[in-house]
Amino acid sequence: MLDQAHQAVSEALKAGADYADVRINRLCQERYVVRDGSLEEAEAPEDFGIGVRVMKDGAWGFAAAPCAASEVGDAYPGLVRRAVKVAHDVAPSRREPLRLAAEDGHVGEYVTPIGQDPFAVGLKSKLDLLRSASDSMSGHDDTVARTASLSLRREEQWQASSEGAALHQVLVRSGAGMSCVSAANGTVERRSYPASFGGNYRSAGWEFVEGLNLCDHGERLRDESVALCHAPLCPEGEHTLILGGSQLMLQIHESVGHPNELDRVHGHEVDLAGRSFATTEKLGSYKYGSEYVNLVADSTVAGGLDTRGYDDECVRSGRWPVVEKGVFVGYHTSREWAHTIDEERSRGTARAEGWYSPPIIRMTNLSLEPGTWSFDDLVADTEDGAIFADTVRTWSIDQRRLNFQFTTEIGWEIQDGKLGKLVRRPTYQGRSPDFWRSCDAVCDESHWDLWGVPNCGKGNPMQTAEMSHGASPARFRGVRFLN
Amino acid sequence: MALLQSDHALDLLRGIVDRSSADQTEVTLESVEDCFVRYASTGPTQNADRERHQLSIRVRLSAGGGRGAFGGWREARATCGTLDEDAIARTLQRALDLAEVAESNSALVPMGGEVEVPASAAQRPTMDHTMGEKASWIALALGSCEAQGLEAAGLAQTTTQSRTLVNSSGRAVHGARSRAAFSLTASSPGGEGGSGFAETIVSNVEELDAARTVERAVAKACMNRTPEGVEPGSYTVVLEPAAVSSLLLFAESHGFGAREFKEQSSFLCGRVGERLFPDSLRLYDDPLNDLYPGMPFDGEGTPKVRKELLVGGVLCDPVTDSRLALALGLPNTGHARPQPCAEGPTTTSLFLAPGHSSLEELIGGVENGLLVSQFHYTNMIEPRDLTLTGMTRNGTFRIERGQIGAAVKNLRFTMSLVRALQHVSGVGSTLEVAGALFDGEVICPAMRIDNFRFTSATDF
Repeated sequence: MLDQAHQAVSEALKAGADYADVRINRLCQERYVVRDGSLEEAEAPEDFGIGVRVMKDGAWGFAAAPCAASEVGDAYPGLVRRAVKVAHDVAPSRREPLRLAAEDGHVGEYVTPIGQDPFAVGLKSKLDLLRSASDSMSGHDDTVARTASLSLRREEQWQASSEGAALHQVLVRSGAGMSCVSAANGTVERRSYPASFGGNYRSAGWEFVEGLNLCDHGERLRDESVALCHAPLCPEGEHTLILGGSQLMLQIHESVGHPNELDRVHGHEVDLAGRSFATTEKLGSYKYGSEYVNLVADSTVAGGLDTRGYDDECVRSGRWPVVEKGVFVGYHTSREWAHTIDEERSRGTARAEGWYSPPIIRMTNLSLEPGTWSFDDLVADTEDGAIFADTVRTWSIDQRRLNFQFTTEIGWEIQDGKLGKLVRRPTYQGRSPDFWRSCDAVCDESHWDLWGVPNCGKGNPMQTAEMSHGASPARFRGVRFLN
Repeated sequence: MALLQSDHALDLLRGIVDRSSADQTEVTLESVEDCFVRYASTGPTQNADRERHQLSIRVRLSAGGGRGAFGGWREARATCGTLDEDAIARTLQRALDLAEVAESNSALVPMGGEVEVPASAAQRPTMDHTMGEKASWIALALGSCEAQGLEAAGLAQTTTQSRTLVNSSGRAVHGARSRAAFSLTASSPGGEGGSGFAETIVSNVEELDAARTVERAVAKACMNRTPEGVEPGSYTVVLEPAAVSSLLLFAESHGFGAREFKEQSSFLCGRVGERLFPDSLRLYDDPLNDLYPGMPFDGEGTPKVRKELLVGGVLCDPVTDSRLALALGLPNTGHARPQPCAEGPTTTSLFLAPGHSSLEELIGGVENGLLVSQFHYTNMIEPRDLTLTGMTRNGTFRIERGQIGAAVKNLRFTMSLVRALQHVSGVGSTLEVAGALFDGEVICPAMRIDNFRFTSATDF
């Protein structure tokens, strides 16, 4: 397959391209949903196709189509012609030619390390696990939906570029989760485990799914979802907030990750997702957070959903600081954008959704480094009336990623140094840098976990990408709550 | 070319149904051709000519293992993106393997038989629209923005789509549609001032007035160069169609469907048949409309018809698919997603019926309020009252004594859509196809709402 990718690249150069890269991509997935004990959705998609990207006359051209694996040789000549024509036709409208950061022609292979191949596990075992998880949430009349789901993905990609890159990658990820919805007292409340968005996901094998021990959490989810229907609304006003990891990951994603994408900073996402307050003149000096806030981007971290060998521009994965002791120090970049902050090389964060889309900058795994607190000590150190909140319910943020408003599934008032009364629908609102500056404590490594985001949307037309965010619970002062 | 002719597609799918050993089989093929040029102040940035297929095979095995011995079905689906024999054979086998381990579901309705669906077709001018023609729209946008000291960004896109469904009960339907869209966000350099947005979405690209789209966005951006601060609070608002759309799409995704209704998480629960809203409000779903037609059948091949959702201020029953119709004792309204699916039926071509007021008349009736061009990142906090939050974007203006006044900085609203609709005091007369950040489109006019609640502000 790599030979054919190279042939396509050569064909593109012959057709007049100044640069070309080709991705041949096979995607296999399995997805099962058991609802109220019955299999509700059983789906097993597979996909195979080619994406050809060329640069000609300072403009990009991209063409993509599905084909059988045995017919790649017949399919690529037409795609090359179409991609070159696209670039040719739109180039006169470019105001300035594209510039690409230098890159070596890497030759290599990357395969996600896994314990047990999730696709080799018998179907019956998978469905039995989900049925048991769904059943574990039964037993209360107020419960209206008990859902357990499993999602597996294997993506194989062959990449070649006109700079000599020849790459083969096999990325495997596994994920599962469950949720219980109850309706009573005029309200509907959901509890999820281990997180929203269908659970948690890792670049890992079946061992990750088994390690979630779904069935151990059914009764708790059921009882919490019922109790939430009768709990008081989280009190309005200004309170100290401790966020759990499965909520803090979304805070990282929305208020640090997206504003850190350099194409967005330069206004190239303004047609849909928006701009960024983290503009380039702030790099190196801007106080993004408190001294306790250290955020690291890392496309090599074990288990991360964007852990890989190379990005879709054939740039090797890496790790770099984004916020160091509260100071803004790094961006997510691509070969097209690195030069705008005087960096010679891309950070390797250009990714496409499969073979069908051209690559754009996507945040990679971005994590809050652990601090020094144990969770119990942190709660004990926090005043009465503070709120501990966890698990994403809803989220919204302005187009420069400043004003955000998030609601969690559950919260507890802190009383006498312990988690006390349950509160419903904690909704907190703030301004991103002010929020991160108000952080005065982060829990230690024993509380740190990596949370997968399977549904990040960006681009226009929108593309979906996956990444992870590591976090342990952290405390924020003077946060505004509303209901 | 990804789109298959109707006869070719029907023959391909009949062949798959014929070779299936399942008791019931349904095969659906969806094909898409998509060409787009995305652009920013540097000109075209992402430019693609692409196509794809999705072939879906749904099989059912009777619980007793014998044809006709109905004790429920074991059902599953597998899909593939290529149409070669090997991929199709593997996909069929995967579907059969999955169905073997599914438990029997007696709530499933036998697959529907022969039906007729209205003729539909993709628009030839949209299919033939070139990259060069898209580039000419973009040149217009760049030139107009540069002349006003603004930065441009947007998307020019043409898409054609076909869908064919054949099942073992004799159903064989085919449909096609097309979409052409052009958008421009015109912003002050570096995003320091305000911005303006316009988008035109049509079926036939010949009806797309790119110059008018550019003119609207640039004019809005020029009005919005120096927005001033405004206090959050309750205001009478006039929402332009792009703002109306991002609210109503949550009623589509979380309210009008029978699953949410059955599981008590819909705003319809306890409200169907009640006169709760102004008489002037009428909502319906109509994929067969002439303005912007959708597919003429749903995910089970059931023909689409117009479905009333809110008439004369009274909410109607939810939309259904075959299974939820049976479960709730309602008619099947033809709103199934491709089955089996963990999500319930949904509307796809939501209309807010036009009223009798021009935008100027809606504004003219406001003593002290706000004109909102668009909402950004709207999301749902609570489903029973459809409590939503989101930010204004791309032009928010004071309305003072019936006139548009100064531009204001963006605000966050937190508001129940049910309560908002109860306070509608005017509906515009001009329909637009309007989208939103999280996908989906609504055909709607502008709307005036009293006591709309803004809960915080932002820096710009």
